[in-house]
Amino acid sequence: MDKKTNRLYRIFIYVALLTLAISIIVPVVWVFLASIKQDSEFYGSPWTMPLGMHLQNFADAFEKANMGEYFLNSVIATGLGLIILLVVALPAAYVLARFKFKGKKIINLGFMSGLFINVNYIVVPIFLMLLSWDKGVSQIIGQRIFLNNIFVLAVIYAATALPFTIYLLTSYFRTLPKAYEEAAYMDGSGYFRTMVKIMIPMAKPSIITVILFNFLSFWNEYIIALTLMPGTSKTLPVGLINLMQSQKAAASYGSMYAGLVIVMLPTLILYIMVQKKLTQGMTLGGLKD
Amino acid sequence: MNNRKQERRFVWLCLAPAILLFTIFMVFPTLNVFRMSLLKWGGLSANQEFVGFNNFLILFKDMNFIRSCQNTILIIVLVAIITLIFAVVFAAILTREKVKGENFFRIIFYIPNVLSVVVISSIFSAIYDPSNGLLNSIIGLFKPENWEGIKFLGDQSIVIYAIIGTMIWQAIGYYMVMYMASMSSIPEHLYESASLDGANKIQQFFKITLPLIWGNIRTTLTFYIISSINLSFLFVKVMTGGGPDGASEVFLSYLYRQAYDNATYGYGMAIGAIVFIFSFALSAIVNHITLRDDMEF
Amino acid sequence: MKKFMKLACVSAVMLTALAGCGSSDKKADTDEKVLKIAGLNGGFGTGGWEAVAKKFEEMEGVKVELEFEKNISDVLRPRIQAGEDIPDIIYLAIGGEGGLTDTMVKEKQIQPIDDILDMTIPGTETKVSDNIIPGFTDALNLRPYDDGKLYLAPLNYSPCGLFYNAGLFKEKGWEVPTTWDEMFALGDKAKAEGISLFTYPTTGYFDAFFSALLNETAGPDAYEKMMHYDEKTWESAEAKQAFELVGKLADYIEPNTVAQANGTDFSKNQQAILDNKALFIPNGTWLPGEMEKAPRAEGFEWGMMALPKVSADGDAYSTTFTEQMYIPEGATNVDLAKKFMAYCYSDEAATLFYTKGKSAVMPTIHASDNIKDDDINKVFYSIYDNGAKANAVGFAALENQVEGVDLTTGEGILYGTVNSVMTKDKTVDQWYDEFITALKKVVEANK
Repeated sequence: MDKKTNRLYRIFIYVALLTLAISIIVPVVWVFLASIKQDSEFYGSPWTMPLGMHLQNFADAFEKANMGEYFLNSVIATGLGLIILLVVALPAAYVLARFKFKGKKIINLGFMSGLFINVNYIVVPIFLMLLSWDKGVSQIIGQRIFLNNIFVLAVIYAATALPFTIYLLTSYFRTLPKAYEEAAYMDGSGYFRTMVKIMIPMAKPSIITVILFNFLSFWNEYIIALTLMPGTSKTLPVGLINLMQSQKAAASYGSMYAGLVIVMLPTLILYIMVQKKLTQGMTLGGLKD
Repeated sequence: MNNRKQERRFVWLCLAPAILLFTIFMVFPTLNVFRMSLLKWGGLSANQEFVGFNNFLILFKDMNFIRSCQNTILIIVLVAIITLIFAVVFAAILTREKVKGENFFRIIFYIPNVLSVVVISSIFSAIYDPSNGLLNSIIGLFKPENWEGIKFLGDQSIVIYAIIGTMIWQAIGYYMVMYMASMSSIPEHLYESASLDGANKIQQFFKITLPLIWGNIRTTLTFYIISSINLSFLFVKVMTGGGPDGASEVFLSYLYRQAYDNATYGYGMAIGAIVFIFSFALSAIVNHITLRDDMEF
Repeated sequence: MKKFMKLACVSAVMLTALAGCGSSDKKADTDEKVLKIAGLNGGFGTGGWEAVAKKFEEMEGVKVELEFEKNISDVLRPRIQAGEDIPDIIYLAIGGEGGLTDTMVKEKQIQPIDDILDMTIPGTETKVSDNIIPGFTDALNLRPYDDGKLYLAPLNYSPCGLFYNAGLFKEKGWEVPTTWDEMFALGDKAKAEGISLFTYPTTGYFDAFFSALLNETAGPDAYEKMMHYDEKTWESAEAKQAFELVGKLADYIEPNTVAQANGTDFSKNQQAILDNKALFIPNGTWLPGEMEKAPRAEGFEWGMMALPKVSADGDAYSTTFTEQMYIPEGATNVDLAKKFMAYCYSDEAATLFYTKGKSAVMPTIHASDNIKDDDINKVFYSIYDNGAKANAVGFAALENQVEGVDLTTGEGILYGTVNSVMTKDKTVDQWYDEFITALKKVVEANK
């Protein structure tokens, strides 16, 4: 390649990169700016600069949408969901990647088809199921324990994330060299010990990827939380809807965007913290097997 | 022999919790969706009538459903193709080229995926605003003074592309990261020897990069199908509500409209059953026709 | 699983002997009675409900639990679906957010409440029916089935009509049109000045608009029949005239209307009135409150009129929009709920709803006394005193909901198609024919 085309090529690369970057930065900055605007500033052009720092929006969002309590709920549901997910998915993914046994094919196929199940339409059947359990249990112990329970919500988050997580982890385990395990067995280490002490630590990059992906989806999840937590205790995205659904009610745009920022910040921070490790853990095998 | 037995016990102990959770919270509810799709049921009363496959028969003659089908397929195809091209190209640039601020771009490009659908939707309604939206302001620079803005969300022939644009914007970074992961594992010596043979960057891309990440691309095609069905619903719900006059209705938004607004819950669940079968079948077909001899390095 | 639970329950009963199997009946003995009210936290606010509930608590020595949410349909739907924890009273208008009430009507999950009308309002000597403005409880949507019984109770009535900037009319020296001919003539005049005649928030607002229009073109008797899905009346020339008038508006529509006629952007269409970009918007009395903080053209002043008449000697109509409350099937404290509803129609409660809530006017005979002369609502609520006739809104309930045929919701065939007519993607004839075809399907399924 001669110098001139090379130069043109480099210019093209930077123009492309910068265009995409700007198309992302502008809207994101826009949300932050919108969150400090006063309500009256929302009726004209959406692209004007805020007239001042109207931080009252954040106070309103916190108070009106009960964000304090909801924030805690979201932290519990997301954190616990991730822990359950990892505890359940890691061993399963490991044996699916490393062991030969009868029925493996069918189990793999089962989890694979789980990828195609959409939570949007199974959420009501899940609700009805929990409800019938509640009916049974309340007759025994006089209390309902399944609905309006943040821990049950976490379990269901974990369950719905299983197919994709197992798929990601299995693909990663397959790329790890067998030598380490064999050495461990030679040393007399049992299956369980080998898995926990040797293989799972080696899968760390993939685990980080899994955590990030699922953190994003659990944290932003709305439909399951809404249906399975019909009481007064809510998660952050559900609480946000209180601010948003303002048809036929005076709209408080400022606090709505402040709420959006409150929901958005933790995900942004976590992402920036782990983004370097993100690509290391992504190994996608074929879907068949 | 004892060892075999132990191994088997270990395998099933590891699998049991996952299988249990998966069966209870995903398989049973899905089977229930299929069961309810055979009912005539409004969704609230105990008034359920078994109607066999009647809901499905109505479905195939329902023009609104067929339109939501067409929209969904259009979205899947366009989002997959355009996102794929952009994501692969940007991934290649960021992994193969020495770019200043590479880390900066990597962080920025992934951000749309971090944002919730609600945030993205409000950003894009501001971008698509017919009078003072960002897009119309830019296009307006090249148009006469009295030019009326494009009604991105109001024109029935444009609205679906407006949704597609939003989805592509959201998806590029996500898939770029996936492709970058597999591109960075391609050994450097392949490029070195190609370079010695006189292949330029573009030839290298088509001869080495693309074939070697082909398996990865095939896998992501399934993700495109699954996530397009889901995300198109979320964006449509917030941005257009399926309008104007149903022009941007997609699978799941139509499901919700029938199950809730029209009080035909069984019919809605029949759509759910179709969506499951459709996405499964489409993925199988795509997986089959993109099959090439895998290149290994 | 179920069997196991039953067994477990039986043994639990034996163990606890008379303590009872569930926890619910235990509660009734020890605790005071709890009346559960769930409703929409909408344009009228919740202040009125809180005040009325408090008064009722003091009066009756019971506890009233209020659960008001903006997405109340989403919150209640699963609970009702499961028959669990059902509130005693639900306050959510037909056609309101999330469509729960519509489904409740279609699914016949509402209890008849005729006896409320004959009850004495708690704390007074007045009979409920004597304190409600005559005619209000006769509306078809409150008596959705053909059994003549009252199922839903009306509250918060407000006249709907066309809202405009009265200041602009003064400034330009324009007359407010009284007939459709004048309306379109004004439209041409305004067009010359770069102002559109008409806009609308979303197609959902056409239920009130179109109902008034049908009353004007076909008359109240024919309207009544049409709301009962009478094919013949819908096929009449008078009914079609209403479609054609809407079609004619397509030439005068504010160009951004359809692009913004969705749940996110509808307030931009309302803003068009404040910015003098459009002259008229169909809406209800909550509009000024909703746009309270919005910037506006200089000299802006709210005005409201009934729909223009079809001819000079015709009648002008304004739809009376009322919200509804009702007792769902499965409610536990039906009698107490009825008592509370009766109390809602007291003058005392009406005052609380207006003053503590956001200007909610109960359909009681003295409620409008709460509106002071300098109140903007005075203008709106005097619309019927100025010659406009009132009409109700809403179709009769269907026995059989037809799969895939959404005739009457805001996005359904009758109203949702207006978006297509305005963008000229469909002609009036196409819209009308589609509606008639769908209507026939609905009629067929309900024979």
